[in-house]
Amino acid sequence: MHKLINKLAARLPLDFRILYHQFLLRVVDLESLSIQADIVGYLGQFSGVLIMLSLLHAMVTYIGYLTFSAPADRLAFCWHMEHYLISTTMLVVGLITVISWDAAFPDRRDVMVLSPLPIAPRTILFAKITAAAAVLGLAIVTLNAASGIVLPLLLGTQPGPALDFIQSFAAYWFTILAASAFLYGSILTIQGFTALVLPRRIFLRLSAILQLAAFGLFLGVYFAQPLLTDPVSLADPRNRWILASSPSYWFFALFNQLNGSWPAQFSWLASRAWIALGLTVTGAASSLLLCYIHTMKKTVEEPDLVPGAGGLHCMPPFGNSLQTAVALFSIRSLTRSRQHRVAFAFYLAFVFALALSLLRGELATPAPAPVSMDLLISAFLMMFFAVAGLRNVFALPISLTANWVLRTTQLRPSEDYIAATRRTLLLLAVAPIWLLSFALSFRFKPIPQVAIHLAVLALLGGILAELCLIGFYKVPFTCSYLPGKANIQLVFWGFVIVMIAFVVPAAQFELTALAVPLKAAFMLSALGALFWALWIFNRHRAKSAVLYFEEIPDPLITTLGLSV
Amino acid sequence: MQFTNSSPKTVDLLELEHLYRSFRGIPAIEDVSFKMAPGEIVGFLGPNGAGKSTTVKIITGMLRPNDGRVLFEGQDIAKDMVAFRAAFGYVPEEAHLYSYLSGLEYLQLVGRLRGLEEELLETKATRLLKLLNLESWQYSPISSYSKGMRQRVLIAAALLHDPKLLIFDEPLSGLDVVTMRLFRDLLELLAAQGKAVLYISHVLEVVEQVCNRVIVIAKGRVLADARPADLAKLMSLPNLESVFAQLVQQQDTRTVAQEMVEVMQIGHR
Repeated sequence: MHKLINKLAARLPLDFRILYHQFLLRVVDLESLSIQADIVGYLGQFSGVLIMLSLLHAMVTYIGYLTFSAPADRLAFCWHMEHYLISTTMLVVGLITVISWDAAFPDRRDVMVLSPLPIAPRTILFAKITAAAAVLGLAIVTLNAASGIVLPLLLGTQPGPALDFIQSFAAYWFTILAASAFLYGSILTIQGFTALVLPRRIFLRLSAILQLAAFGLFLGVYFAQPLLTDPVSLADPRNRWILASSPSYWFFALFNQLNGSWPAQFSWLASRAWIALGLTVTGAASSLLLCYIHTMKKTVEEPDLVPGAGGLHCMPPFGNSLQTAVALFSIRSLTRSRQHRVAFAFYLAFVFALALSLLRGELATPAPAPVSMDLLISAFLMMFFAVAGLRNVFALPISLTANWVLRTTQLRPSEDYIAATRRTLLLLAVAPIWLLSFALSFRFKPIPQVAIHLAVLALLGGILAELCLIGFYKVPFTCSYLPGKANIQLVFWGFVIVMIAFVVPAAQFELTALAVPLKAAFMLSALGALFWALWIFNRHRAKSAVLYFEEIPDPLITTLGLSV
Repeated sequence: MQFTNSSPKTVDLLELEHLYRSFRGIPAIEDVSFKMAPGEIVGFLGPNGAGKSTTVKIITGMLRPNDGRVLFEGQDIAKDMVAFRAAFGYVPEEAHLYSYLSGLEYLQLVGRLRGLEEELLETKATRLLKLLNLESWQYSPISSYSKGMRQRVLIAAALLHDPKLLIFDEPLSGLDVVTMRLFRDLLELLAAQGKAVLYISHVLEVVEQVCNRVIVIAKGRVLADARPADLAKLMSLPNLESVFAQLVQQQDTRTVAQEMVEVMQIGHR
């Protein structure tokens, strides 16, 4: 098989193969990686996480199916899982599309480097599309590897003439691919036509906003949309507008239509899927073609240098000059680098969507609701994701070659730099989440409990920030990054286990402590002591720390250190 | 072969003593020693791979020597790197900057890292940008700057804190004729103010004009350390370019050029 693929690939034009390889690797920004970075291993780890998720989905589907005995209940469960798997695949495709934003379109670098070479624009176009399709295909196949067999198998065992495995299997994979193509095509269409209509400079600015909006939309819809997969909910006229405006339900309907199990009265939903698919594929193809004809020319004609506008250039000081320098450098890096902005938005969007789905009930009621587990869990998760997310984004470098200036201007001990990083972490992650929680707290009662909860949250934020700073002797965004060094699978599953094992019991404990003043005082004292101990520990270690700008890979040979 | 003549009898600001540095066992510099006095403009010349960059990295503290030491005002810089960093300004060979910052923001970053007062920093940054004809572009991202504009930002950043020692590595790269003249005048004035300037360049004509002294390095060793005119006189050669070619024994450029043309034409005749 491998030989056959190589043989077929060898028949493709050389320029196409070279460009395809280049564009494929651009999923990860090579400029921000250490030279030792193992990108293939990194992508392999991501695939591993998706396969594990697929196995988990398959297991849940199978076990869930067996818990029901009545065929109608089993079919209802299968419908629920169908929708879940379709919407999860759409979410993953959406997130990859957002992360590789603009990747299908020629950027200034492509135009300037490739235009003087004898390469046709169509070769660049096909290479870009093939590279994007390869990454998306890998994600789709790995995410559905197990569930894409188990669900059709279970549906194939259902009574009825049309429900056999082959049909279900084909319907499943066609639907998954169609839903992914729809989502990817929609984004390409919007981007392409915006690029065509707007001047390039304005398009680039709008594109950054569209990217974040798409991120929020995908996560918001995934977490906030109601479950309407049973025949009663589908038939309810009050749900019609939700169904009509939710693409995941269109493709859910399409799957069942292809499967032969879809009631005729809901066929309008499946029709929407066909229409949407046709429109987006046509839109994406035409906008891409037009872009490659017009945008490349437009990019070359764009003036090299335009005087900068006035705007907001004064920023408040964030402490001493070093703290201000580090904080402003971090804010500017975060807001102006696409990769960093998207990476942090990923954490924030995830956490806000999660909080929104947890607190939906409480926020919908007009009167203040009592402090609940949902409030505490959502606050913990928001704080955790924001701090850990920002800490992870801090570790992604932005312009390694420019770091010489930090090395040659280090006039203060490393502990001052670490203190400046701490301040930045508190400023950009802990403070916003705390303020958001403060704003949300007006919807809850009683006030003393809410106040104690806010104090707990502030201490938790401080503790998380201190934990994140252990061993982090870097200026944010300046140290080379070694993808593949961290075992993503281990981190991912470790996180899931810690969340289940820690957040729920911690929230339960806090809820009981809030009702008993003595217990609340003990909780605050314990958290305060832990925060203080961590702060002292980090300060002590920072005194002997040395700032570093290059992540050192683990040695190939590990010595046991037995010799004297 | 080594050509030296004694430099003026003044207190040395910077002194390099027998620097040695190797990478994976291959020596980059083997024995680099020289001194610089306040008010001197010293040209540091050598062919590619001679060890200039390694020497500069050691002076700026980005690299540690395997052997030898660097003294600043008589003190080993390794003992108080912080004090030394506060005293020098550096323009690197490649104009690597945080390109998403504007010119003004970059100078603010450098100034704050160097601990300058906000008000003073604002005054210095805006005035330097204006003097270097960057005022209109001070709010534009550096990514949109030309090579010469980036170079001007680097020069401004190196001057912000009024350093005693200035290290300019190919500072004229990308600059237009007017800015090049401005820079030459600036060098003279800096020297007159008592600043020591280490000037690394391949443009020998400029070095000959602006430098009091030249140090020629090849294969990691100092081959010559003298005034440009003395060097030419000593070697009975018309100018610094001839001296340089003689000292570093460069290849026969005409023959190499001829071979390059032949390689280019392989398979196309």
